[in-house]
Amino acid sequence: MKINISRQYIYLLAILLLLLVFVLLFSFTVLIPKGKEYREDRIEYKKASREFRRYQNFHSEVQEKLKGIQAENRHIITAFDATFNKERFEKQHRDYFSSLTLSRLSNTALEDEFISYEVNTTSEISSPKSFYDFLDAVNKSDWIIAVEFPINFKRDGEMIKSSFTMKVYAVHKESNATKRVVE
Amino acid sequence: MKYSYITPRRKSVLTKEIQLLLTFFTITILMLFVTYFFLLIKDYTYVDDMNDIAISRSDLEKDIQTMKAQITFIEKENLIAQKIYTKNIVLKDSITNLFDLVPQRITLSEAKLLENGLILYGITPNKDIYNFMLQAPLRSIFHRTYSSFYPAQNGWLRFVSTNYIDEELSLSGEVYNED
Repeated sequence: MKINISRQYIYLLAILLLLLVFVLLFSFTVLIPKGKEYREDRIEYKKASREFRRYQNFHSEVQEKLKGIQAENRHIITAFDATFNKERFEKQHRDYFSSLTLSRLSNTALEDEFISYEVNTTSEISSPKSFYDFLDAVNKSDWIIAVEFPINFKRDGEMIKSSFTMKVYAVHKESNATKRVVE
Repeated sequence: MKYSYITPRRKSVLTKEIQLLLTFFTITILMLFVTYFFLLIKDYTYVDDMNDIAISRSDLEKDIQTMKAQITFIEKENLIAQKIYTKNIVLKDSITNLFDLVPQRITLSEAKLLENGLILYGITPNKDIYNFMLQAPLRSIFHRTYSSFYPAQNGWLRFVSTNYIDEELSLSGEVYNED
């Protein structure tokens, strides 16, 4: 039996096969691996962006916490940042004393991120109550001040002469931990 | 000489079948290429976006570390400030208690408040009043109490009362070093 196929159909079949092979090869060697890569990248991207959103939320939480703590401790932060001003202190606390003299002692102690320096105080008060009021006012002053021992009270006629040392605490400006960047 | 009575039809390489075939495969290959380029572009965008996310995340991490350090520092400041404030209040209470301790009949001329002690100078009508009304409460507070007397011009007695606490934890303590 003789199969009679024209040359034209043979050509047609050849082109068909050639193109089919090309399509299959392109699909299996290029397109499908690229599709797999795309799918993996998309999953990875979604995972990364989900994690990033979580991180952003955490960042917002920390920022809120920082703002809250800054608002709560505004007075303390400002007081630690403030440089002690002798004249201003005398002006603010003059009401508690008949006379008030401050002399800054030279020794400055550096403790981690903080510095502290001592101020010698001599004053005259009319009654111990003035001194109690002064101690109350010191806690609300513009600086962080600790009244130190020894404290001397000496009667001088109707007045009481008092002398004591105050330790003023401040932030060491060059310390890395103290740099306030956020906001 | 003619062998046929009909005119021969013109033959072309691009027969209808081949045209159909080529159209079909052109569309197919075009679609494959479009899909491939779409994947390429999307893939590039994802990689690019992931790099951006990594950079932003690194910035956020640094920011969070800075903020955490600030929170820790503010908490430290707050702790120190609270200790100092408490110390000042305790000091005030100690001085109030000291002056409340001195009876009406005894007059103080000088008081020295030390870290671990108290020195009082004053005048008393007699030793008994001093012993019962001042020394007794002082003894209950301090571990060591020493008193010395010498006569005043008006017949009363001048006294010096020196009192010490032996404990390491005295009235004040170093506020900062307590950490």
